[in-house]
Amino acid sequence: MQRDGTLDARGLMCPMPIVQLARRVKEMKTGQVLELLADDIGAKEDVPAWCSRTGNELVGTEEEGKILKFYIKMK
Amino acid sequence: MTDKLCIVVTEGTFDKATMSLMLATTAAATGTEVHVFYSFFGTKLVTKKVNPKLPGMWRLLTGMFVKRMKGIGLGSYLEMMQQAKDLGVSFYACSTTMQLMGVKETDLLPGTKVLGAAAFLKLASESQTTLFIG
Repeated sequence: MQRDGTLDARGLMCPMPIVQLARRVKEMKTGQVLELLADDIGAKEDVPAWCSRTGNELVGTEEEGKILKFYIKMK
Repeated sequence: MTDKLCIVVTEGTFDKATMSLMLATTAAATGTEVHVFYSFFGTKLVTKKVNPKLPGMWRLLTGMFVKRMKGIGLGSYLEMMQQAKDLGVSFYACSTTMQLMGVKETDLLPGTKVLGAAAFLKLASESQTTLFIG
C-alpha cells in the first residue's frame, strides 16, 4: 500500500506502539498515510481503537507472519 | 470538549504504579486529558525517593521485571513517569496523606500538584471515566 512514512514498533509491547504512534503522527500532514509495523498482538485491537478515538482513519491492515501492518491516514 | 480520565492510586507497589502509568500514558497518547491522584500508600510514587517494589514475596523479583520490561521497550518507573508528563498527564498528591505520612511539598517530584478531596472530586465529576487502582 502507498505510504508516506513507516514507524517500526516491532519488539515493543503495549502501550509503547501507541505512544510512539501518537508522537509520530504529530510530524505528519493531513491526508498522509503512515505505515505502522508491530508484533504486539494487543496492537490488533489497540490501533483501531486509537484511530477511532483520535479520528485518524485506518485505511488498511495486513498480516505477514507475526508482523502486523497498519496503514493510517492522518486527519 | 476533550475527553477526561481520572485515575486514583492508593497503593505504592510496582504493579499498581506501572499499571496506572501505562493507562495514563495510553490515554494521553489518544488525546485524552489525564489526571492521576495519589493517595495513601500511592503518595510515595510521586516523591523524589520513589523506588517501587512488587508486593509480598514478589518483591525479590522486582529487578527481573524491570529488566524484562526494558526488553519490550518500557523504561524504568521514572522514565515512564517523565514520558507521561511529556504527554501532558497531570499528577496530584493528596494533601491529607502528605500530612499523615510527613511528606513535604519539597519531597514531591517536580510538577506534582497538591490537592484535597474536593478539588479531585470536581475533576472526577468532569471526567467520562474514573479508575481506582488500589
